[in-house]
Amino acid sequence: MQHKGIHKKDAYWLGFIALLTMLPMVPAVTANSFHMHVVILILLFASMSQAWNIIGGYCGQVSFGHSVFFGIGAYGAGMAVVTYGGMPWPGILIGVVLAAVVAVVISYPCFKLSGHYFAIATFAIVEIFHRTFLVWDWVGGALGLDYPLVKEGLTNLMWYDTKTGYYYCALVLFLLIFGTVRWLEGHRFGYYMRAVREGQETAESLGVNSTVVKLAAIALSAALTALCGAFFAQYNLRVDTPMVMSLDMSMKFVLITVLGGSGTLVGPLLGAAVLIPLQEYTRAFWGGMGGGVDLIIFGLLIILMVVKQPAGMIGIFYAVRKRILKRNIAAKGESADGAP
Amino acid sequence: METFVQVLIDGMLNGMVYALVAAGLCLIWGVMDVINFAHGEYLMVAMYVSYWLGFLLKVDPLLSVVAAGVFIFILGAVTYQLIIRYTIGRPGLVALLATFGLAVFLKNLCMNWFSPNFLILSDTWLGDKTLQLGNIIFPVPQLVAALLALVVIGLIYAMINTTRFGWAIQATALDRDAAELMGINTERIYLVIFGIGGACVGIAGGIMPSYLAVHPEVGSMFGLIAFVCVAMGGFGSIPGAFLAGLLVGSVEALAGFYIAPVFKYIAVFGLYLTVVFLRPKGIFGW
Amino acid sequence: MKHRSPRLKSWILFMAVIGMLLGFGPGAGSLLAAEKIIKIGTIFPLTGPVATAGQRCQAAVQTAVEIINNKHPEIKVPLAKQEGILNGYKIVLVHADSQGKADVGKAEAERLLNQEGVWALIGSYNSSVSKPASFVAERMKKIFMCGSSSSAALTQRDMKYFFRLAPTDATESVDFVEVLKWVNKKKKGSVKTIGVIYENSEFGKHAAEEAKKAAEAGGFKVITDVPFTPGATNLDSEVQTLKKANPDAVLGAVLGADYSLWVRTMKKANWKPRIIINYCSGYQDPVITKQLGADADFFMGSSGYSPQFASLMPAVAAVEKIFMTKTNGVPFDGNSIQEAVAMLVLAQAIEKAGSLDTEKVVKTLYENTWDSPLSLGGKVAFAKGGQNIKAQSIVTQLQRGEYRRIYPEKMADGKIVFPMKPWDKK
Repeated sequence: MQHKGIHKKDAYWLGFIALLTMLPMVPAVTANSFHMHVVILILLFASMSQAWNIIGGYCGQVSFGHSVFFGIGAYGAGMAVVTYGGMPWPGILIGVVLAAVVAVVISYPCFKLSGHYFAIATFAIVEIFHRTFLVWDWVGGALGLDYPLVKEGLTNLMWYDTKTGYYYCALVLFLLIFGTVRWLEGHRFGYYMRAVREGQETAESLGVNSTVVKLAAIALSAALTALCGAFFAQYNLRVDTPMVMSLDMSMKFVLITVLGGSGTLVGPLLGAAVLIPLQEYTRAFWGGMGGGVDLIIFGLLIILMVVKQPAGMIGIFYAVRKRILKRNIAAKGESADGAP
Repeated sequence: METFVQVLIDGMLNGMVYALVAAGLCLIWGVMDVINFAHGEYLMVAMYVSYWLGFLLKVDPLLSVVAAGVFIFILGAVTYQLIIRYTIGRPGLVALLATFGLAVFLKNLCMNWFSPNFLILSDTWLGDKTLQLGNIIFPVPQLVAALLALVVIGLIYAMINTTRFGWAIQATALDRDAAELMGINTERIYLVIFGIGGACVGIAGGIMPSYLAVHPEVGSMFGLIAFVCVAMGGFGSIPGAFLAGLLVGSVEALAGFYIAPVFKYIAVFGLYLTVVFLRPKGIFGW
Repeated sequence: MKHRSPRLKSWILFMAVIGMLLGFGPGAGSLLAAEKIIKIGTIFPLTGPVATAGQRCQAAVQTAVEIINNKHPEIKVPLAKQEGILNGYKIVLVHADSQGKADVGKAEAERLLNQEGVWALIGSYNSSVSKPASFVAERMKKIFMCGSSSSAALTQRDMKYFFRLAPTDATESVDFVEVLKWVNKKKKGSVKTIGVIYENSEFGKHAAEEAKKAAEAGGFKVITDVPFTPGATNLDSEVQTLKKANPDAVLGAVLGADYSLWVRTMKKANWKPRIIINYCSGYQDPVITKQLGADADFFMGSSGYSPQFASLMPAVAAVEKIFMTKTNGVPFDGNSIQEAVAMLVLAQAIEKAGSLDTEKVVKTLYENTWDSPLSLGGKVAFAKGGQNIKAQSIVTQLQRGEYRRIYPEKMADGKIVFPMKPWDKK
């Protein structure tokens, strides 16, 4: 079914991205920096979750350990700026490489574990890293790293007065990670990953070295995650362990992807587009009342979403699309092929 | 030497309570393959039940244990009916995320109702009493909690292995469809299991206000440790969870004392990794 | 197949609700701008592990605003007798929840300043949240009043629009060492060794570092250093570590529920040092005596306020009455009262500057010494960087459930019990 030229699905994506590029030119959005903040967070969390999706969705290894890689990226950028007083870029690079290395080292023994044992092991690893970083003075320990006031711009990857710079950075991140995953989907390596997800033994019998595939997938996933972490640090101008390297953060990777639809390209975006505004706007509306009303509603809505649509938002997406397609087909007077 | 014994005893007493909290989780996990992320929050709710009974009606936590157990049994059953039922047969993550939502919901609901203040029951029967053997100090509330844990875990173990209902549970855990064909109402088994799992943690939470302050965040760390205990002991094995609880409690105390207090949880999680790297299915896993 | 399945229908409904949330997002409130109001934003941890403190701080700011906006002739506090400020301007508060997280606090600061259009911010209790949140305000040239964050680093950043009321942990540490020296001299206490126990967070870590610095400068030896994880299930090994080192004095930075667990664990282990002094923390929580009863006695700590200071600060009682209606009867503590002071001093500065020009108000804030009947010592004045140089605290000791003022001696109303009485002797 490979067409020459642009795939129809990709055409939709390109159109969507073109729209995103123009977004800062819509004054209604840019004038309101909170909306802008929400849009940036959606792009960031979609990217993070997509990075998780490589190992968690496509390769089927449910990791709750991604905040470790996220944190390493954040600390890379943060220490370059705060501890060494330089530009964040070398730190980001080191963070990305280090995250991939750490991922391979800690995952190698963990991949021998199956199912829940693996999941709990990744929990344990997050807790170990979290607590070690809290007492490790070289990385700032419990005090955290606070960014100094430096010149804004791309060199320092920092902007103060407008969020447009951050927005385009987030968009680049989004393009990079979604592009990578889109490319993987069509590449041989993508098929290997899905083969491993469907059954390790079967995959092995077809000549796929499942350990190598999983390690490569987690290295890639961790590196991309670290990149997101670096952006998060630059965006918040502070790095501390509870913020970047906690179980809470790890849960978000999983929550967003599964809500959207894991193992699909569009899933993480759908998940982030629903969950992030939900989290930010409920807090803006009800957070100030105190008493955690926003979180009560947030919790309830998560339950509702998961229970009502266990396949994720992608399920609704397909249902709606099917309906539209059907209507089109009906209008053209053709018979639906294959649709139940 | 004396200090070593003291530290070890403190650790083992805490470990027994971890084991009781973990036993409930273990049961649910073993039979239904569902991770209940709200388990720590069940504990917190049970502590509130026991606290309010003590505060308003002057019932001692030692008696409130029953009420807390029953309350969390019902809470568990309701959770099953409203949430878990829809996630059975779906990928494991679905139930985990639903219960994560439940955890956020319960934690903040309790904060909303009871304020975030920490609450302490004073003048309980057991509160602050200690037994002294030589130079070794046994705190009575923890001692009673540990004995209670022992009894409850023993009862559950006996129920699963010797009663018809227990065999039905085992059958359901092994193969739901086959059990269904044998005439076992697996839907009801699941409901009751979720209730009993809740009741275990309810009993633990019921006794705890006699030595621990109650507040909305109190359950989080217990919940996390319970996960580790269950996985360390081996999927669905009650004796495994019990042994793991004891191990976790002792390692936590010893590492905290002999290495440094901040390392105590690092040691606990490190212990889990060591155990599963050596035995990928846990201590008693198969 | 025209009809929609019920599931899809409920989903469309659900999405519509979310859409409405998005559509009528924050910002709709700014329609009221035409009236004579000044919007002030608050950011406190209203949920999460330190929600207790955050909610009390929020209530304190609300109390201050009630006094400023309405006529309260019975209250002897500046601005109480008149209605509003600047000839009829009223203050309207917009509250936000930081959840105790730095990134959330920063996002909320931006939202309050940009969307809600608040004129100034008050917050944020956690030092780790105050830092990035005040950074946002500084960039936008808006005033950030910080009541109770104690990290000394906050006022060492040379910020222009940042003001902090509470004493820093650095000055508190120096005070504590003074107390120890005083005890040695006065009571022949022979305190030589010190142990430090603190929660391993920004607050605790910072306090501990200052404590160690001050202790060494004062000629004491720090023999054990015990950080612990906040929210731990038990503090057994922490207390055993202290017990084994057996220091003469313990300096503690332990918050909330951890404080009660710490006290009870020490009781269980049947150990006490000769003297314990706490940073503003669990020790000064007004409910602690109710919760711990006699076990709370003989501990010491610094407080900027406690109900037993009534004779020093006669104006507080009437204000506290309003505060207690918002907190179910819990009185002020040293942290929350600082937030009320922050609000009042800001309002006084606006009134004195006679305009809502931020630059003018900042200049006025720096140039004057402010009357503040809610502060210990009654005055507030700011040094460069925004630290309140008139901030004072008294070292108190709990005796029979009451905070007795011990040090400095000229403000004392009780005698120190030293060494602390053992657990079995009350």
